Amino acid sequence: MSCEKYSGWMTDAVLGELRAERESELLAHATECDSCRESLGRARQVREFVDRGVEALVAGEPSPQFSTHLRRRLAQKSEPQRSAWTAWAPVIAGALALAVVLAIMVARRPVLNESNPNIASAVNLDSAPQGAASVAGSRNAERTAHTRDSRRRAQTRATTTSPPEFIVPRGQLAAAAQLSAAINSGRVDGNQLLAAQHEYEKPLEVHLIEIAPLEIPALDEVTEKPASLIQF
Amino acid sequence: MDGLAAGFPRSAVSRDESLAREFEQRLADCPKLAYRVALGVLHNTAEAEDVAQEAMLRAYCNFHRLRDRERFRGWLVRMAFRLALDRIRAKGRRERREHDVTRLLEEGQREANVENLIASREFERQVAQALDALPEKLRIVMVLAAIEGYNTREVAKLAGLPEGTVKSRLFLARKKLAESLQCLVKNTPAG
Repeated sequence: MSCEKYSGWMTDAVLGELRAERESELLAHATECDSCRESLGRARQVREFVDRGVEALVAGEPSPQFSTHLRRRLAQKSEPQRSAWTAWAPVIAGALALAVVLAIMVARRPVLNESNPNIASAVNLDSAPQGAASVAGSRNAERTAHTRDSRRRAQTRATTTSPPEFIVPRGQLAAAAQLSAAINSGRVDGNQLLAAQHEYEKPLEVHLIEIAPLEIPALDEVTEKPASLIQF
Repeated sequence: MDGLAAGFPRSAVSRDESLAREFEQRLADCPKLAYRVALGVLHNTAEAEDVAQEAMLRAYCNFHRLRDRERFRGWLVRMAFRLALDRIRAKGRRERREHDVTRLLEEGQREANVENLIASREFERQVAQALDALPEKLRIVMVLAAIEGYNTREVAKLAGLPEGTVKSRLFLARKKLAESLQCLVKNTPAG
């Protein structure tokens, strides 16, 4: 029974992982028990076999041709990489050129999409005074123009020399053009319109209304109606 | 092997000459290490050479990405180990009979029958088989510990593991190998 207990300890003992008190107990038992002594000897042999066996498996040097082969493989590895890149280079260059052309086309495209009714139209009010042009757009137009304008601000800044563009809601293009023409010809005073618009935009002023207190006539005791309404 | 560092095509390494020189210096003593790690997995000298070369090629191409150059050896070792495992998996040959490691133990202090056992191809095959049966994490520490008698600290550095982990894995690996090889010793007369 005790031999069975010690047999489980032997591998740990020869691998140096058995607790000290157990190891001394095992060794003491091995001095008395021939079978366990033999088993312990075999376990030590196995441990040695393991280490030496694995050492033998990994022992050895690369062949003298190793460095030659390595140099050759390095050269081969670098060669196809270059050729592969060279083969793809025209395709990549073509794709880049196409991308540049598309970018230019997109940049030069009309600002607004005519097919979408929700999007306002752009009108170029040639030489129109700033004030008149502002009036040309309604409140909605200004709101739309604001969002559009923020998107295109950088572009607008770059083209300061060109006449200013203003955005009007769809359907009001003709009216805006007519207004612009009227202002340019002097038939309509743009500054007056602008002043009117500013007036219109002012917040409403609230005036107090004086209301006279309600007079309640005295009721007739008999009819319970106002005395002035009683007719005889 | 001595001519290895001298003869690298510089264009393949890097545009940075100092980086290339640094790599070459490190590479001078590393092919052997990579080869032995691969041999411990593949048990075939030709394939081990091939894998070691592949590991060094990869190390060569990615050397600029390695931030801590002091870890180059461990990096190379792990790469060689992975590549060797991939090679085995790719070929579907878990058990190898054709390994050509012929040099076995030469120390003559033990009994003739035990020496014969160790020197026999059958023993070699059994050890290789038992080693192959180990889980990867146990196998790499066992192989590294067997290379030039690296101690636990060196194995830990190469494997990129804490020393305590290496110690426990080495114990487990040896225990499993001992259990696998026990039958061989039992069948051998004690002399």
